[in-house]
Parts: sequence; structure tokens; C-alpha cells
Amino acid sequence: MAWIAQRRRQTRFETVVLPHLDAAYALARWLTRNEADAADVVQEACLRAFRYFDSYREGDAKSWLLRIVRRACYDWLGRNRPAELVSLASEGDPDIPGHDPPAATIDADALLQSRSDLQRLDRLIEELPPPLREVIVLRELHELEYRQIAEVTGVPIGTVMSRLHRARAALRRAWDGKGCG
Amino acid sequence: MWVMRCEEVRARLDAYIDRELPETERAVLREHLAGCAECGPEAAALERLRDGIRGSVPVYQAPAALRRQIRLALRREAVASAPTAARAPGWLAYAASLLLAVAVGSGGTFMLLGERQEDRIASELIDSHLRSLLGTHLTDVASSDQHTVKPWFAGRSDLSPPVVDLRSDGFPLIGGRLDLIDGKPVPALVYKRREHVINVFVLPATKGGLDRALIRHGYNLRHWDEGDLGLWAVSDASTDELDEFVRAFRAATGS
Ligand SMILES: [Zn+2]
Repeated sequence: MAWIAQRRRQTRFETVVLPHLDAAYALARWLTRNEADAADVVQEACLRAFRYFDSYREGDAKSWLLRIVRRACYDWLGRNRPAELVSLASEGDPDIPGHDPPAATIDADALLQSRSDLQRLDRLIEELPPPLREVIVLRELHELEYRQIAEVTGVPIGTVMSRLHRARAALRRAWDGKGCG
Repeated sequence: MWVMRCEEVRARLDAYIDRELPETERAVLREHLAGCAECGPEAAALERLRDGIRGSVPVYQAPAALRRQIRLALRREAVASAPTAARAPGWLAYAASLLLAVAVGSGGTFMLLGERQEDRIASELIDSHLRSLLGTHLTDVASSDQHTVKPWFAGRSDLSPPVVDLRSDGFPLIGGRLDLIDGKPVPALVYKRREHVINVFVLPATKGGLDRALIRHGYNLRHWDEGDLGLWAVSDASTDELDEFVRAFRAATGS
């Protein structure tokens, strides 16, 4: 009966997907930069994931969920922080699915250098534009492999590598410059 | 042996510290870094940054309230997305007409619910129980007074539920509700035991229906007949508490 099938589906979702809720929340927290919005976005994303659950095949549930959460975060940014959805200078790929290529571009390095008030690494990471911020978070905090980061962010591995490189270069210069290195 | 120039090494430094390089390249890089006064410190600085991030950056964890809220939302979604029509095609009308036929035709012949019918009813009732917990619609008439709740059903349903006050037994009456089950209004009485809700659904009796105790999907159900009425208590309270509730209810109605 349909009702029982739905309950089974729900139980399976809770077993397979919900163990990655902390990772989902952390990613949303870094992208929205506050707790209440992160919670809203994650809840919406989990319901979305539940509706798409039939499209999930055995495999990497964590990457699957994070991909959906990331999309929800970008939707949220598009609605609430459109100014943050800038494309990266000299990268040239409008990489945000479902959004028009933004008009402004940004040089992450110059951005961090301009924030001489920031010394702590977490604040510096928060100042990175979202496409650089997310690769740092996924790699350093979630310890995802390049292959998984590519799956979550929907870009080729080569782009993942160049973004990681740029993000680290920008962080290092801003951080080392404050006498921490 | 394979030798790399500094710029080739630099291009691979991130992949090196991320352990994403094939072992052969990794060995070449390790060799180069040990001997190169420029690339070596560069790699060390990258590692320092990584350790700095991992050592100083907060690890965010989903708040417990969010986890709870998501589980509830999922449950609501699961209940809502099961199409009503597909769930139980006309079971109530079917059961009722069958019962009527038996009662009229053979006066005294008893009729037991088949197991599959009982399962269907149990599923329907758990479904209604869940809806009552998750929505904003726990009661239509919110009152702890049996003399307010009972008359409320008059004219709204053909079935007149026995409403009793069980506060002194530890099961305060919260109110009453009319649930639509298979398109038919079914009275439900709402009681509480601490934070647990107990719904008592009132259906036509299944003549000769035995007292039944079921557990379905983690919910406890108790079924018994009172005259023309078949009562079903559904709750996520413990088995013992629900048994205690049914004993108190039946003592109060004298059934
Ligand atoms: Zn070198």
C-alpha cells in the first residue's frame, strides 16, 4: 500500500542520508554565514532531497546530499545576497547553475588584502567569494576528495584544483601578512 | 629517474598535500621538495595553512532542534505524498455495508474483521493520528469538559462517541476532532499522557469484534467494541500506558 511504501522510503532516507546532516549544516553555515538561515536552507534542502530520493542510487550519499544543499544555498544567496554571486576574475565560467552569469567579477586576493582588519582564518574564509569558500570548506573541513568536490559543486576536477589553489594563495597572503606565518 | 622543474612542482603542490597525486609523481615531488630551497618552504607554508585552518576554524554541527524538525517534516511529507485514493479504496463503506447486511440478514451472526481489513484500518488510523500530531489540527473542539465535547459531535456525525473525563487517572481530555477517513466523518477524542497524545477513533462496531492489541510502525493500537461502536485508541505512548488508558476508559464507560 502506498502509505507503507512512503514510510519505508522515509525510514531508508533517515538511515542513508541523515547521518550527513552535520556536514550539510556546516556547509550551509559557511555559505549563508549565519545559523538561522543555515537551518532554514538545510531543512528545505532535506525535503528537496527526500522528494528526489528515488533518483539516488547506491553510492556516495554525503556528496549527493551536499550537492543538493549547496544548490539550495546558492538559491538562497541569489534571493538574499545577490551581491555575493559574483564570478571569479579570470575564470570565465559562469558556474552557478540556474543563475544568469553575474555582471561583476572579483579578485579574491585583492578582496582579502583590503580587509586588513581580519586576522583570524575563519573570518578570512568567510570573506572569500562563495566558489572559493566552498572548496576550502569541502576540502579542509569535510576532507572530501577532489572527485567528490567536483560532484558537489558541479564543476570539472581541473576547476576544483585551480579554485583550491587560488583560495589558498589568497588566504596565505592575507594570513602570513599579519605575522602569523 | 624522472626530474621535475620547479614550475612543474609548484603546479602540483596542492594536489601533493591533498594526497591526490599518483604515487609515482608523489615520490618525485617528495625528492624535489627535500632538496629545493624554494619549493620546500612553499610546501611547508601550505601545510601550515592547512593545519591552521583545521586547528582554528569552528566545526559546525546541526542543532538538535533542527534534526528533530527535519524528521517531523519528513514524516509529514511522507504522509502527505501517499495518495488517499490509493490507500484504502472504500474500506469503510465496504465494511459498514457488509456489517449492516450481516446484522440485518441473519441477526445474531457475528462478523469478524479479516486480518487484511484490520491492517488497512490500522494504517488509516495511524495516518490520521500522525496528521493530528503534525498539523495545526489536533482538535476541532478544545475542551477538557466532557459536557462540551460530547454535544459538539451531535449533528456532525451519526456516531455518538462516549466521552469520559479521565483526568484523575492521569489522562486529561484535550478535546475532540472530526477526521475525514475515506470521505466519511469519524469522531476522534483526544487525550494526553504527559507529552503523548492518545487519539480514540470511533467507528461502527464490528459485531463480535474481539479486543485487539496491535503495534504498527512503532505505534500502539487498542481496539474494543462498546455497543454499536468500535473504538480504536492510537498512541505513541508505551504499551503499558495505553493499556492503562483503555482500562480507565472502559471502567468509566462501564463497558
Ligand atoms: Zn623547486
